[in-house]
Amino acid sequence: MSQTIELGKRRPGPQSGWQSGPRSGPPELGEVLSKLRGGGGGGKFLGALLLIFAIWGAFTAFYTVQPEERAVIKRFGAVVGIADPGLHFKLPFGIDQIQFVATERVLKQEFGFRSEGTGEGGRTRYSSDQFEDESLMLTGDLNMIDVEWVVQYRIEDPMKFLYQMREPTRTLRDISESVMRRVVGNRLGSDVLTVGRVEIQSQARDEIQTSMAHYDSGIHIITVEMQDVVPPPAVQPAFNEVNEARQERERMINEAQKRVNQEIPRVEGEALRIVAEAQGYAAERVNRALGESARFSAVLAEYRQAPEVTRARLYLETLNEVLPTIGQVLVVQDGQIGPLPLLDINRSSRANPEDAR
Amino acid sequence: MKTSLFAIAAILLVLAGSTMLFKIDEAEQAIIVQFGEPIGDVIDEPGLKVKLPWQNVRYFDKRLLVWDGDVTQIPTLGREFILVDTTARWRISDPLKFLTSVRDERGARTRLDDIIDSVVRDMVSSTELEEIVRSRDWDVDLSTIDDPALAERQDLDLQTRPKLGRQLLEQEILTRARRLMPELGIELDDVRIKRVNYISSVRQQVERRMIAERQSIAERFRAEGQGRSQEILGDMERELREIRSEASREAEEIRGNADAEATRIYGQAYSADAEFYSFFRTLESYRALGENSTLMLSADSDFFRYLQRAQPE
Repeated sequence: MSQTIELGKRRPGPQSGWQSGPRSGPPELGEVLSKLRGGGGGGKFLGALLLIFAIWGAFTAFYTVQPEERAVIKRFGAVVGIADPGLHFKLPFGIDQIQFVATERVLKQEFGFRSEGTGEGGRTRYSSDQFEDESLMLTGDLNMIDVEWVVQYRIEDPMKFLYQMREPTRTLRDISESVMRRVVGNRLGSDVLTVGRVEIQSQARDEIQTSMAHYDSGIHIITVEMQDVVPPPAVQPAFNEVNEARQERERMINEAQKRVNQEIPRVEGEALRIVAEAQGYAAERVNRALGESARFSAVLAEYRQAPEVTRARLYLETLNEVLPTIGQVLVVQDGQIGPLPLLDINRSSRANPEDAR
Repeated sequence: MKTSLFAIAAILLVLAGSTMLFKIDEAEQAIIVQFGEPIGDVIDEPGLKVKLPWQNVRYFDKRLLVWDGDVTQIPTLGREFILVDTTARWRISDPLKFLTSVRDERGARTRLDDIIDSVVRDMVSSTELEEIVRSRDWDVDLSTIDDPALAERQDLDLQTRPKLGRQLLEQEILTRARRLMPELGIELDDVRIKRVNYISSVRQQVERRMIAERQSIAERFRAEGQGRSQEILGDMERELREIRSEASREAEEIRGNADAEATRIYGQAYSADAEFYSFFRTLESYRALGENSTLMLSADSDFFRYLQRAQPE
């Protein structure tokens, strides 16, 4: 209020102008009060009245326009001008009326939700109420969808904003709802939920802007931003189920793929082993054949030197080697019944307990 | 004496001012009424005006006004019940007619309610729901739809473009409603369908249908998962068998070749003296006899020959 006092000091005009009586110059406050207290006489009463008038006039003769605002000045109801930010004077006693319009501020309208100021940590708090009436709409495939969106706008022309429509903001809301429903209704639900967002936003912005321009409302639409776009609440679990099922499909495929990745390399290794084993066998077989035939060829070469002796020697040597290790040797003679056990000492001694029985 | 004269003059002045001066706001227009009868033209210039003390002033808003209809339940041509919420913008275009026909805004609103509601009702109930929801430029490329549930919808025609569509429907409503406006001194600027929704029972049906659609899609995904999994495992099984059989074929070939090679080597060596080979090989096989073998020797075999007789025969 310090502004007011300064103002009064700088402009003593109205006060002195209204002053009656013999004295000139501004009256001392004390004098006026004493006049008032003195009561009586119409002159003193008139003086007091004039003083009140003067103070009232001083208080109503100026106004401040904030930086983001413009002020529309009306004299007897007719607009006489628009004031820019700063301190301005006007005719007092309500002759000039001022309407402030925030032209520089970006305003917004919310649909389907409401933010309620800022909560802890600077995060925006949202109302827990459901504004289903606003957000629920039909898509082109006659399904329902829940769309939340924001319209950001600026008042471009304060005159038009005030005097072209009575309720420009309400109209903006109505038109936004109407346009959003038309645009969403002209698309498939799946489209709106996924890829259509950007196009819907720009289309809605343009259409709302066209309508508001048609009304000459002085409102400029900056942007239309879609927020949550979801199926209706009752259907949401089913949508989630689809997502889960999709995940499950991927999981099953991945699991099968994993098994393939486990099995194939292992079996490939096995196959290599089988082949390698066969190659080993082959090498062994051929080598043995080569070895044995070499041995045979060597022996044969010697045998041919003295066939009779070598033959007998090989035979006897072999029996000599074989007989001690052999379990039982039976000698058979022509014409004799049954074989004759031979060299069976060890064996019979071993078999004794059985014989005793 | 002087002061009282002054006071009387002041009171008269104030009286005259309050009865003869009136203000018209930028947003208003006014008609001066004398004993219930409109006098003169409509005053639409804002500012301070003068009238006679016994005349009244009727103010009318000059701006575009909002009319908001009630939410009404209307059946469409296809017998679906829907809730329709309409909104309209209008202005008082002829205050004189307005004053005589509807008197004030409240009167105007009831008339607008009657007229617009009935036109909307007529239009909606003679239109298919698709026409109300979609617009004339409806264009869906069926090939780009990736939602399998849509393709199965029997109740839906996705291709036909609406004859009217939302915008032209609104246009038609406006045209029809406008016909009755001039006699009311009202100019109807536009009529818009703000909201269209199913009534709650239909809504539940639609929700159930949507749920069923989603569930069938979910089932399809699961089945697809199983199918793909089986396919992959089947492929794997085939591949495993291929690998294994290939390996054993190769192994057998290798073995066969080796056997053949061995046979060739043996044959080459042994055919040098077949008789000696069988003798040699027989002796070899005797060496393989073990403890559990029983050897039967003829008494007149070579081995016993010298046991019977030391002299050569």
